[in-house]
Formats: sequence, structure tokens, C-alpha cells
Amino acid sequence: MMQMTMDELTVGQKGAVKAINAPKQLKRRLMDMGFTKGVGVEVVKLAPMGDPMEVSLRGYHLCLRKAEARAIELR
Amino acid sequence: MQTIALIGNPNCGKTTLFNTLTGTTAYVGNWPGVTVEKKEGLVNGHRILDLPGIYSLSPYSPEEKLSRRYILDEQPDLIIDVIDATNLERSLYLTTQLAELGRPLLLALNMEDLLEKEGIRIDARRLSQMTGCPVVQISASKGTGINALLEEIERSLEQKKLPMQPLFSNFIERYITTIIEDDYLHQIPKGRQMRWAAIKLLEADELFLSSMPAPPQAFQTYIEQARKELVEHYDDDVQAIIIDQRYKVAEHIAKDCQVRTKKAKQFNFDNLATSKFGAIPLFIAIMAAVFYLSIGLVGGYTTGWLESFFAFASVHIQTLADAMQVHPLLSGILVDGIIAGVGAVLTFVPQLFVLFLLLSILEDCGYMARIAFIMDRLMRSMGLSGKSIIPLVIGTGCSVPAIMSSRTIEHQKQRELTVIVTPFIPCGAKMPVFALMLTYFFPGKWFIAPLIYLLGILAVIITGLLARALDKHKETNAFILELPRYQIPAAKNVWLQTKDRTLGFIQKAGTIILLSSVIIYLLSSYSFTLQAVDAESSMLAILGRLISPLLAPLGFGFWQASVALLTGIAAKESIVSTLSVTIGTASLGSFFTPDTALSYMTFILLSSPCIAAISAMFKELGSKRKLLFAVLWQTGFAYVAALIIRSATLLLL
Repeated sequence: MMQMTMDELTVGQKGAVKAINAPKQLKRRLMDMGFTKGVGVEVVKLAPMGDPMEVSLRGYHLCLRKAEARAIELR
Repeated sequence: MQTIALIGNPNCGKTTLFNTLTGTTAYVGNWPGVTVEKKEGLVNGHRILDLPGIYSLSPYSPEEKLSRRYILDEQPDLIIDVIDATNLERSLYLTTQLAELGRPLLLALNMEDLLEKEGIRIDARRLSQMTGCPVVQISASKGTGINALLEEIERSLEQKKLPMQPLFSNFIERYITTIIEDDYLHQIPKGRQMRWAAIKLLEADELFLSSMPAPPQAFQTYIEQARKELVEHYDDDVQAIIIDQRYKVAEHIAKDCQVRTKKAKQFNFDNLATSKFGAIPLFIAIMAAVFYLSIGLVGGYTTGWLESFFAFASVHIQTLADAMQVHPLLSGILVDGIIAGVGAVLTFVPQLFVLFLLLSILEDCGYMARIAFIMDRLMRSMGLSGKSIIPLVIGTGCSVPAIMSSRTIEHQKQRELTVIVTPFIPCGAKMPVFALMLTYFFPGKWFIAPLIYLLGILAVIITGLLARALDKHKETNAFILELPRYQIPAAKNVWLQTKDRTLGFIQKAGTIILLSSVIIYLLSSYSFTLQAVDAESSMLAILGRLISPLLAPLGFGFWQASVALLTGIAAKESIVSTLSVTIGTASLGSFFTPDTALSYMTFILLSSPCIAAISAMFKELGSKRKLLFAVLWQTGFAYVAALIIRSATLLLL
């Protein structure tokens, strides 16, 4: 099966983190914010111009650009 | 005296708690969003320090490094970890890191009042058992639980009990135990915990490694072997493994102590605030409302009233002084110097108060993060970040806190660019001079005032686009921002912040502007030989004429305008007071024409900001070369823009 990344989720879709494919610093940053293996994420909405996106995880809301969301691989 | 450090995630209510604990005296934070300045206060006779809001103690961001270094090197007697109880899991992630630093830890479970609404129940006793830390449930904004917290602070300071260490999976613990047993680890700097050091060693934490002597060969080999085995076992890098383990601990504790009965409810306002078509119009409408309420409504009422008050005062004081045969020098200083200068500035206090009040409500309610969210795409196309919008909005009040709020922008180039363009947004102190010019030369032409703001925004855009075009790397960078819950701003925070900023303005009127008004009056009444002379041959005129040729192409090559600009470097409000002292606000027409008035306003709008903002810029840019570039860019930009505006108006009028 093709691997899926978080930027491909549409609003309301959910997923679980499988891996983070990013340079060390960004990876650390994303993990610090709670994107660790197995954690559930849901896309809440997109900004008016389609980017960045608002996601909810671990009971809170976070916004990040699609470029960063692409680093988060889902299963 | 014992020292307490206050720490926690951004948006956890830490600043509110700090304000509640220390009372009104200790608040220095004009800076929105996160607490970036070092703020200190007293609580029960102990020194309490407010550390920056952070999510982790990784060695990457300046705030994280600062907090980590502070706790390790200064060894506070107690750390209070402020936890947003509605966001337990992520907050505990930071707690797992704090627990390893070898200092007593107290957990303040904040936002207790919101738990019921969010459908969350927390077993505080269980949380205390699982972490080995005392736990107090509080609501910083409502002020509940504060007495219990104060009692617990005393108890913790006395007992000095260390928290329990979060334990990882057995596979990792094996390595940690072996490392701790090695002699090498006994060389760790004083005050560092063995377990913490062992973890840092495994993580190859640069900051830690640089503080240690090189390990013996055999030990080095062991560490490398351990790292390799960990990577193989978990199929990830060691830092990621440790983060994963910490979150597992946090999950485990949260699961055990917390019951979520219903899902967090949807925000309603947010559906409009970030909607596809409504978001940006709403943002513009909110900003327009802020300006209308402060400058239009309140300003409209109070300015005229205060102006007539000061006019009334100066006439009567002059009469009184004449009657008492006061020396004309003294009455001149008082009436034409102080009352004219300071009065012209104080007139703006009511509307600035309202402006600062509304901005601080915007900052406190959670809407700023949404503005960053909706504007990011647009800002990015100008080489800025969504977070750059926050300094620009705050900049309409004062550039100093605005420049400081740019610290939340992670990417250095974007942060520096934001610092350079923020002063283009006209601050409250520039308002008096625009108001003066506009009411004199363009009465009834209400549309010019918004155009000034638009010109400032245009300058931001042009600078941004140029910087982007010149940036060879075109590097993209992260934009990761928590969208906190909307909340009713804590009245105390809003009040303190508004009061602080307004008092700052009044204080300037009473000090810098008072002093400069007197000096300007004296310099404009005497020659270098100390003869009372006409303003035209005064010291001030001679000084002003040194630079006025430079400004002649812009249409205001007379010495009064140049001198006013010079005093504007001390404080922009001084421009008005200087003009009132040297020209007199009633006779502006014999010096300026509508086109030169526009060009003068343009120059003031865009040229280098006041000394306070320049020093804030220096702090954020961190280099004299960059600061020089910034000031030259701003002033050069202002010069060219004023030239263009003047030529354009001459052609059109």
C-alpha cells in the first residue's frame, strides 16, 4: 500500500502517526508537540487559503503548514 | 531568601498566576503571547522568577536553552510547573523532563474551573502519587486555590523532597543503569543528576557533551554500542526514542489520573474567525473597530476637550505670571515650553489608553494565534511568517513590545525581517503628529488617516518582497503554532498591561518630553552668546540648519522641521511638542503646505523609530551591523517614499 502523509488528510479525517521523516530539528520539534508513534490525529480545518492546516492531537489543537504535515507519515 | 522558578507550556496561564502571586508590583511583561522577558517578583518573602513558556527542554530554541540553563546553573529551591489541566498529557511531557533536573517540583494544576465544562475529571491525589510531587488545583484567572498553593510552596521549600524519576522501558533502563555506574559520570558538573546526565549522554545532547571532559576510550565505545543497539531495537534515532518514552510516561499518568466524560466541545466563534471567506474580512473589521473605538470615538471626544483645557490653562497661567511680574524667561519655559509641549502629548492619553486596552484584550483572548493561522499563506509570500502578523498588530500600539513579540518566530531570517518592518506600522506615539497635520491641512478628509496605515503596510510588503527576491536560499521553514482555547481575558492581566503601557506613555510625557520641551524652548530663545534672540537666529535654528539642506528636496528644509525630527528620535511624541514650541500649532500653514505636510508625515511614518524601539531592535537583531542596516533601510525608505509622495501630490494637486 502507498504510504500516506498527514497533508493528504481532508477535513474531518483521522489517522495515526507511523513515522516522522524530517531533518533532526523539525522532527524533534514535531515530536515535542506530541507527534509520536501511534498517536491519533484529526484534521480540524484548513486556513482560508488552503494552508496551513489545523489538527487536533492529544486533546489540543495545533496549526502547521502542509509542508510540515508532509513529514508526518500515517498508517 | 529562597528562589522559586515558575515554568510551564505557553498558554498555560503562567503569567496570570505570576501576577496573582506577586501582586501588581512585579509585572514588567508588555510582551504578548509568551513570556520572554525575565520577570521577577516576591511571594511570601521568597524570590519568584517567571521562566519563558516552553513545551520541552530541548537545546534548540533560545527560550528552552535559557530555562534549562537557569534551572541547572541557578538551582532554584523549588520549581512550580504550571499545568493546563485541560491539556494534561502534553503538559506532563515537560514535567517528565523537569523531574530529572534534581530540584523539588510542585505541580500547579491550573484551569481547574474549566474542567467541568470540558468534561474532564482529574484525581489530584493519584497524580501526586504517580509523580512524587505535591499537586495543587488552582484557577489563576478566578483566583481559587491560591491559598492552598501558598501553603504548599512553604511546605515544599521546607521538605525539599525530590520528584520521582519517570521510568522508561526496561530495554533503555538497562543502559541507563550501566552508564550511571561508570566512574566517568562522577565528573558531571555539580548539581546535575546522574540519571539526567546518562540520558543526555545517550541522546548525544550537544550542550551536555560540551560541558564534559572527553570520555575514556572504553566508555566511549560502550556508549556508541548502546546507541546503536537502541536505534536497531526501536528503528528510530535516540532522541526520538527518548521523546517517545517520555510521552508514554505522560500518557500512562494521564490515563490513570484523568477521566474524560465527553468530548471537548467545538468552538463556535472559531467557525467564523477562521472560515474560508469570513476570516480575513473579520480580521480587518476587528482592527477597524479597534481604531474606530480608540482614535475615532474616544479620541474625537477627548482631544478637543483636553486641547481647550491646556489652552485655557496656558492663557490663565500667562496672565497670572504677568500679574506677579514673573521673569519672562520663567513664564516662557512654563507656558510656551512645558504646557505647549507636554500638553500637546498628554492630549492623546485617553485614546491611547483605549487602544492599548483593546489590543491587550485581543492578545489575551486567543485570537492572535488565529490571525497568524489565517494570514500565514499571505505573509509567507512576502518572506514573512504568519506569526509576523502579531508584532504588526501590536505595533499599532507601540513598537517596543511589538518588536519583542517577534521572538516567537523560530526562523532567524523571518524574525529579523519582522523586526525591521515592524516600525513601519505607525505606533500610538506617531498619532499626535498625524492628527496635528491632518486636522490643520486636510480638515474633513477622513480618508487620509487610513491611507497612512496603508502606506505603512505597503512599506512592509515592499520590504518583504525585496527580501524574498534577494534571498538566494528560498529556504522554507517550520510554522508550528498551538491554537489555544479561546478564553475571556483575565481582567487583571489586561488591566496591568494597559496600565503599564499607558503609564509608560505618560511617564515619557513627564520626563523626556518635559525635558526636551524646556531645552527646545531655551535653545530656540537664545543665541550661542546667550542673548535673548528671535527664534530665527537662535542656537536651535543654527543646529537645525545643519541638517535641513538634506531634507530640502522633501519640501521641509526649514530648521524647525529638522529639529522636530531630531527630537523625535528621543520619543516620537516630541515631534509635536517641538513643533508647538518652535512654530506654534496655529501657524503651521506658514511653514508647511499640504504637499510638504504629506511628505513630512510620510517621512515620520517610515523613518527610524524612537530610541526605545531602536534598542529593542538591537536586542532582537543581536548585532550592530544588522541594526545599522535596519535603521538605514528604514530612513532611506522613508526618504525615497517622501520624495515620491511629494512629487506625486505636486503633479496631482
